[in-house]
Amino acid sequence: MSAQTASRLELFQLVKRPATSVIVFTAVIVVVFSVQTSGTWISQANMTSVLQASATLGIMALGEALVITAREIDISVGSIFGIGALVYLGSASTIGAFPAVILALICGGAIGAFNGLLVTRFKVSALIATLGTLFIFRGICYALTEGFSFTAGDQLRQSVAYAIFGGYEFFGYKDSILWLIAMVVVLHAVVFATPFGNRLLALGGNDASALSRGVHVTAMKWQVFVLSGILAAFAGVLEASKIGFADGSFGRLEELQAIAACVIGGCLLTGGRCSMVGAALGAFALTGIQSFLVLNSVQPQWFNVLLGVIIVVALIGDKALHAWALRRS
Amino acid sequence: MTPSSVLSRLGRRADVGAIVAAAALLVVFTAFDFNGFWSFFTLLNVSQYTAILGLVAVGESLVILTGEIDLSVGSIYGLTAIAFITFAAPLGVPLAFLAAMAIAIAAGLINAFLVVRAGMVSMIVTLSSLFFYRGIIYVWSGGTADSLSKANRVEWLTNLLGGNWLWFENGFFLFVIVVIAFQLILTASRTGNHLLAIGGDSASAHSRGVDIGRAKTFAFAASSALAGFSGIVTVADQPQTHVTLGEQMELQAIAAAVVGGALLTGGRGSAIGAALGAFIITSVRYELIGMGAPSSWYITFVGIVLVIAIIVNQWLSATLRTL
Amino acid sequence: MTTNGAPLVRMENIDLRFGRFEALKHVSVDFDAGELVGLVGDNGAGKTTLIRVLSGLYTPTNGRVFFDGKEITYFHPKLAIELGIETIQQAVGLCENLSIARNFYLGREPVRHVLGLPFLDFTKMRDDSRKVLHDFGLRANVGADDEVSLLSGGERQSIKIGRSVAFKNRVIIMDEPTNHLSVREREHVNHLALQLRDQGLLVIYITHDIFQVHKIADRIVILENGVKIADVKSGEMTSDELEQIIREGGRTGASQEVA
Repeated sequence: MSAQTASRLELFQLVKRPATSVIVFTAVIVVVFSVQTSGTWISQANMTSVLQASATLGIMALGEALVITAREIDISVGSIFGIGALVYLGSASTIGAFPAVILALICGGAIGAFNGLLVTRFKVSALIATLGTLFIFRGICYALTEGFSFTAGDQLRQSVAYAIFGGYEFFGYKDSILWLIAMVVVLHAVVFATPFGNRLLALGGNDASALSRGVHVTAMKWQVFVLSGILAAFAGVLEASKIGFADGSFGRLEELQAIAACVIGGCLLTGGRCSMVGAALGAFALTGIQSFLVLNSVQPQWFNVLLGVIIVVALIGDKALHAWALRRS
Repeated sequence: MTPSSVLSRLGRRADVGAIVAAAALLVVFTAFDFNGFWSFFTLLNVSQYTAILGLVAVGESLVILTGEIDLSVGSIYGLTAIAFITFAAPLGVPLAFLAAMAIAIAAGLINAFLVVRAGMVSMIVTLSSLFFYRGIIYVWSGGTADSLSKANRVEWLTNLLGGNWLWFENGFFLFVIVVIAFQLILTASRTGNHLLAIGGDSASAHSRGVDIGRAKTFAFAASSALAGFSGIVTVADQPQTHVTLGEQMELQAIAAAVVGGALLTGGRGSAIGAALGAFIITSVRYELIGMGAPSSWYITFVGIVLVIAIIVNQWLSATLRTL
Repeated sequence: MTTNGAPLVRMENIDLRFGRFEALKHVSVDFDAGELVGLVGDNGAGKTTLIRVLSGLYTPTNGRVFFDGKEITYFHPKLAIELGIETIQQAVGLCENLSIARNFYLGREPVRHVLGLPFLDFTKMRDDSRKVLHDFGLRANVGADDEVSLLSGGERQSIKIGRSVAFKNRVIIMDEPTNHLSVREREHVNHLALQLRDQGLLVIYITHDIFQVHKIADRIVILENGVKIADVKSGEMTSDELEQIIREGGRTGASQEVA
């Protein structure tokens, strides 16, 4: 193979990695935003809030990415996020901080299991099934908070658990960002370097072929819904620790942003293509753009307009990039 | 026609579940809350909101039965309403109506273009539209409420859309007309045949000469148009805008459509079903309010109904068809 | 013949119903190790359906299946692959978004344990699949890490075949293996099928082309509308006679069962 062909192939390999577009995009906006705001955007004061918000959205997006890779969708993560926060805050004084975290995760996993059951056992389309759970558990969130205040009591605030799961600050950064990085590393390894991940990518790419090779497709789909639920609940715990309280609308509409983050990050909705790094960066990019608009005194509602355009452009751009690389290789 | 053949024809309808559920609901309400439900006030509210939600749900049904989804209807509902009110002052009501509807249809055509031509997944396209138009709403209205001028409130068109007749809102009668019209389109026209054919089996539909792109474009345009029309009817009756107009209506519309028998696997749906779905969701909401239940129960209820409805409808579709 | 004289595969009175549609009706057939059986019949005859029962994709509505004397009570492709039943199909079997190496080991990935956690053994995956690429003569510039989507139809078929040969299998089911292949490739596949048979495997060869399979098969089984209408040693009837049976759908009453 000639040197030229070899480098072309390498270029193709690099470009077709799902995260390439979003890495480039993020790098560009980091530079542009920092310059345009004369460094304010990237200052510690601003970055701490941006990174904190990215962390919780990012963790939700990671769970969503797993589901999307399996060629399904989960639009209930916003409601699970809320349930996680409420269960954590609500039970911490009764059963202790660590157990409260565990309980929140169990609840998230249970809701995810219910989603999985609807999709695999009852063959309901994932969109409709998770739409149903979105409603059911959002309603429960509202119901739980009527007449109750869900704030972190002093006992909770001083606990070790509170510190570990989002409450502790270092250099002004809440530790939720560390959790995001840890999750990205772990999940990336799981998806790309374990048998589970290989089979997940396979069933997302072609579930009939995966089944014919002995992959337990229904079991795995069920498992990714459970994981998505656990991660969403975990994000809720971190957020609750960060701000110290939660209300019934916690997480409302965040599922849409989580999906957007995944799509921007290079995960294909048709499955089989995943990037944990991409999803996390997608979350960061979205939060960063929001912050940029605020710093420029642009009405925050322009973010919605921008978000819609970004998603479409990201998809078209990704397709084009992939096609270009295919032609050149 | 034998009783069993009538039954099996009934059983094969997409909306049989909704028909049975709606009937059962009426029985339950009559039995347990006769005075509350059959009161003038409740009936008025239920009919009005059923009409508003139902118009959107009928459009959503069309999209769902082609195997796609439209998440942007809530934003388009709000956008069109605001456009109507904003245009009414300079353009007068009739022109404002046309301009606003044009915006709605254009939005639908853009969705269709991205799905059909650019080959993008409808969930993502309409999700983007949801964000985009919601943002436009905020920016356009500037967060402030706007309303129709006194003169425009008594315009003939405003009255036609928002006035009353026989104590019921005109919107309700318009809704009934729309449902009948679209049920006819679905069951008795070539377009309707094409729409139903696609969802069921795209490949065979294509080989039979169905222009899939055109049919889907029709579905998306109709969905946006109906959502926009519903928005205009809403503000013709209560002529104030607010930025949250239509928020999360898409989810309710999808729920209503699904309850009404529309299957996301496509090929199955009914305008009457969507209307009944809207009725079911709305009437229970008002019953809950009437009973003094906290409003959070409504959302939970919609979720439970949605899950039960889809399971039942899928089972019905699979089983009763083979009778 | 297997060790104790029992057939390697015994399918007894298999019924398979999808809703009201009866795909297989009382199909009984035995297969032995070391034979090449041609499974033929018109479209919709039930050939693919039957072997999907064997490969674990479908659970029979009625009837029993025995493998190596033991009854199969649970049907899943994973079990079939563990038993050594490998299927080579046209449209299914490879995931385009994965590399050749990943596809090769899909479902039975080799692992190295790091701190007790299972990680893919990429070295083994690459080396083994590279060997197959070499043995099956794929283009020189195709590497084990290349996505399957880059390969042609014939190359993908080679991967599937190579995969079935590389693992210790006892049954190789080939479903229309020579469609879309060149004459040379077709010869190669048929030669390989015979080789596998000679090594003691059971090879089930599904095809439309009775003439082609008659040349290499030891036995021919004909299905029509979910029913077995013929089961003969290929020496006992000419391919023309067999083709006639297929055309007439067994209506001549020529339901010949010869052990």
